[in-house]
Amino acid sequence: MKKRIPKVICDVLLLVTALFCVLPFVYMILMSLKSTLNAYDFSFSLSDVTFQHYVKIFTTGHFFRYFMNSVIVALGGVALALLCSSLAGYSFAKLKFKGNDKIFLFLMMTMIVPSEVIIVPLYLIIRGFGWINTFKALILPLPTAFGVFIMRQAILGVPKELIESAKIDGAGDVKILWKVILPLVKSSMLTLAIFTFVGAWNNFLWPLVSTTQSEMRTLPIAVSSMKTAYDTDMGLVMAGAAVTFLPPFIFYLILQSKFQEGITMSGMKG
Amino acid sequence: MKKQRKFWRSIAPYGYVMPISLILLTFVVASLVISVIFSFMKYNLLLPPEFLGLENYKRLLTDEKMHLALGNTLKIMIMVVPLQVVLSVLFATLIAARKNSLAGKIAKAAIFIPVISSSAVVGTVWKTMLNGRNPVIQGFFSAFGIDTGMLLGSSTTAIITVAMIMVWKNFGYYMVLNLASLTAIPDSYYEAAKVDGGGVMQRFIHITLPLLKPAIIMDVFLSVVMSLQSFDLIYTMTGGGPSNSTLTMVMYAYDQTFQNGKAGYAMAVSNLLFLIVLSLLMLQKGFMKREASEI
Repeated sequence: MKKRIPKVICDVLLLVTALFCVLPFVYMILMSLKSTLNAYDFSFSLSDVTFQHYVKIFTTGHFFRYFMNSVIVALGGVALALLCSSLAGYSFAKLKFKGNDKIFLFLMMTMIVPSEVIIVPLYLIIRGFGWINTFKALILPLPTAFGVFIMRQAILGVPKELIESAKIDGAGDVKILWKVILPLVKSSMLTLAIFTFVGAWNNFLWPLVSTTQSEMRTLPIAVSSMKTAYDTDMGLVMAGAAVTFLPPFIFYLILQSKFQEGITMSGMKG
Repeated sequence: MKKQRKFWRSIAPYGYVMPISLILLTFVVASLVISVIFSFMKYNLLLPPEFLGLENYKRLLTDEKMHLALGNTLKIMIMVVPLQVVLSVLFATLIAARKNSLAGKIAKAAIFIPVISSSAVVGTVWKTMLNGRNPVIQGFFSAFGIDTGMLLGSSTTAIITVAMIMVWKNFGYYMVLNLASLTAIPDSYYEAAKVDGGGVMQRFIHITLPLLKPAIIMDVFLSVVMSLQSFDLIYTMTGGGPSNSTLTMVMYAYDQTFQNGKAGYAMAVSNLLFLIVLSLLMLQKGFMKREASEI
């Protein structure tokens, strides 16, 4: 009996905190489903539910374009990060070449450079290439050394015998990577994909700096500038925020453990 | 023929590491180099850069707005880091203790939701909640004597408000990091302590905390680096205002470049921030080493 009480306190504390963490998002969804007129009262009945705000943001202005931009940037970033990281990860983990360790260490060193600190010079470089307002500018800087780290760690665990026997069968590096190794490290690839997707989807400062035309903006930038009109059209702003919130959230619901794996890896690198 | 194939085999690995190397060299390494060079220049993004010598760095010493931004950045760090680390350790411990209960599972999942959300969403929703004339929310905060409308509107409370929302958004990240270390502690340690009659607090202080120490050092370091780079959430919620009370260093560098056309000076500001981060990294490495040698 004596032991039960702390457990109950524990659970209550946990549930209250959980509620506190999700309430703003619940508020966002509820407000996005209400008609504008009564946006400030908190009463909510099912008969009030309307998708008018969602219809309106997608049918007027550039919002659909922003959504597509975000999708293209996030998926492009995932594809590029997976490609670069698995090629390099395979090379560092399984191939013998001069400077293997040194190049790896050098790439890992770039992780200590905080991304917000190099935003101005990065802008100058991209502008020098003439890439301002292009998808190249938004996607190409996305892969990080962290991806290489994840893939190298994963591929290190692939048994040497499997690779040797594929080699005897006459398979080249690309075929070995594609047919033998990648199927065995799918889980790590998924972790990397999710991390890159969420990072790219939520990226803020870089899209803000590297796009000047309204048509090239991504969702977070659009949502943050929608707020100027919130007093009149709060339902619209909340619908915009909800659309920005949902894709990472849905991935999170499906793949919770992968998110946590990625974070644990990000702790290991230091 | 065979020789040629051997040659290709020997250089192929360089080809595989080439794409990521090129990306990191052009976007990260070159950025650092440019940042150092241009911090000695006057550059307004349009006219060719002019060499200024140490002028930009001298200005860092006298520029009051820059001191304000540095001060705000440090204030945010001081408010965010301890709270974030304490909360993340507390909740990691609670969740580890209740990991098989429904409440533990719900909390673990829910606390992480703000982490995966965009700062633009978090900022917009909190801003709307605080500024919207919603009687329920106003009532809740006024029970604690807080006027929600003033939280972001007053230059004394705005920085505290954004710092608290940062803590709310990010402590789940560190909680997951801690949880990974916590679950690695064998149950037998706790069983042994129980047999010896150790209470909950004693077990926490003598078993959990010492074994969690490397994770906590990591938490502190990461959250220091993150809080020094604050931009997204503040840009969305206050835009640096009211009267520059939430202006951070990253935001100041952004403004100097894109509003005032002082890119050279902005890079000097960024370099100062990078130096702060680097020196903290050295400090953390030192701590980690000492930690390792103690074990």
